[in-house]
Amino acid sequence: MIIKLERIKIQTRKSEEAINITSVVDEVVRKSGVRNGLVNVMNMHTSAGLLVTEGIPCLEEDILTHFARLVPEDEDYHHRRYLDYDGRLGFNADAHLKSVLGGISCCFPIEDGKVVRGSRQTIYFMEYDGPLERTYVVQVLGA
Amino acid sequence: MIDFHTHPVLIQELAKKFPDYERASREVFHIGNNFQPLATFFLQMDVAGIERAVLLPIDCRRSRKLAVSSNEQVAELCRSSSRFIGFASVDPLRKGAAKELQDAVEKLGLRGLKLDPALQDFAPGDPKAFAVYEAAESLGIPALVHTGMSWAPETPLERCHPLLFEPPVRRFPKLNFVLAHFGWPWVWDAIAMALKYPNVYLDTSCLYYDSPKEFFQFVFSKQVPTTLIERSLRNKVVFGSNYPRVEIKNMVHALKGLALTEGCLRKIFVENAERLLARPEPERTRRK
Repeated sequence: MIIKLERIKIQTRKSEEAINITSVVDEVVRKSGVRNGLVNVMNMHTSAGLLVTEGIPCLEEDILTHFARLVPEDEDYHHRRYLDYDGRLGFNADAHLKSVLGGISCCFPIEDGKVVRGSRQTIYFMEYDGPLERTYVVQVLGA
Repeated sequence: MIDFHTHPVLIQELAKKFPDYERASREVFHIGNNFQPLATFFLQMDVAGIERAVLLPIDCRRSRKLAVSSNEQVAELCRSSSRFIGFASVDPLRKGAAKELQDAVEKLGLRGLKLDPALQDFAPGDPKAFAVYEAAESLGIPALVHTGMSWAPETPLERCHPLLFEPPVRRFPKLNFVLAHFGWPWVWDAIAMALKYPNVYLDTSCLYYDSPKEFFQFVFSKQVPTTLIERSLRNKVVFGSNYPRVEIKNMVHALKGLALTEGCLRKIFVENAERLLARPEPERTRRK
């Protein structure tokens, strides 16, 4: 049984963006030596996300636009208050809620050393409150 | 556009290089966010449309045993990018502070003075502090001073009132004072200072509850009429975000959301800051 975990840093460059990380995940799996098992990808933040969809720019834009409609920036959020543990105001409730709606992780099978994925399926790191340096985790389990 | 009020307290490169940097940010300044690479600072400026940012250290070594960023750290950041404008901080009660300020300006290339009476534990009107004001006046640099409520722990409110700066403002009429945070909650007191004294300015870095947009809408349209800024203070206000306590983009967005004309916004975002940072030649050479 092989269990390998990598923490991967990613510098986001915009307030909101979808960043294709599929090839990074594939590479972690390849390097792990696992032939058959699972790969789990998890975003380490609560104002960013991780999701799977078809890898085309129009959908990237549609997802962010739709989330903005579902979770408008100017809604009345309880989070808009001083957070004493952080020494700053919390006014990014919309980013947290987008993270909840879109999720923060995904899991794929591994077969014969390759990630089993539909031909259109693309893994995205989703920034909802950037730009920031972020971290996600890729864990490979198998034999 | 210029951001006149940022704190370089969450920079990974400095945290790795200077052993006390992280402790000062966490325990003295009190901020809990992750340290970020310098690249994030520039990207935060980019998404906000900010070209240059003033970096503010706080020399609170006497009162808190640590400096919240040092003059040397700020100077190092400024050497790495022309987008940074470094200010110096000295302890007004320490012997030799005036000379230290002069060196910070003339040798390190820093371009303003930052003081925080609450964190640095001094009374702004204490005559013992006057040598530093005098040095700043002679050097022709502005002084950005903390007024208004501070989020840093153990900072008494009584040290944060804008009127405490009236004695040095009157005594040093050629030294431009920028009262940070619009003096909140003593906004009217800070405004009275800016209206009355030609050498008093205000920065917009105030956010104490709600979102930046909501806070600005209340303070600058209900608590204070927006027309006051548009008509009477258009030459006396500079944009400041207080990053990283708040992201710069949110403060820019909040300010642009007020019913201010483009001309007034240009003064607040650009022209007033440039005027404050331009050192008058006679003042600069007077000490030589």
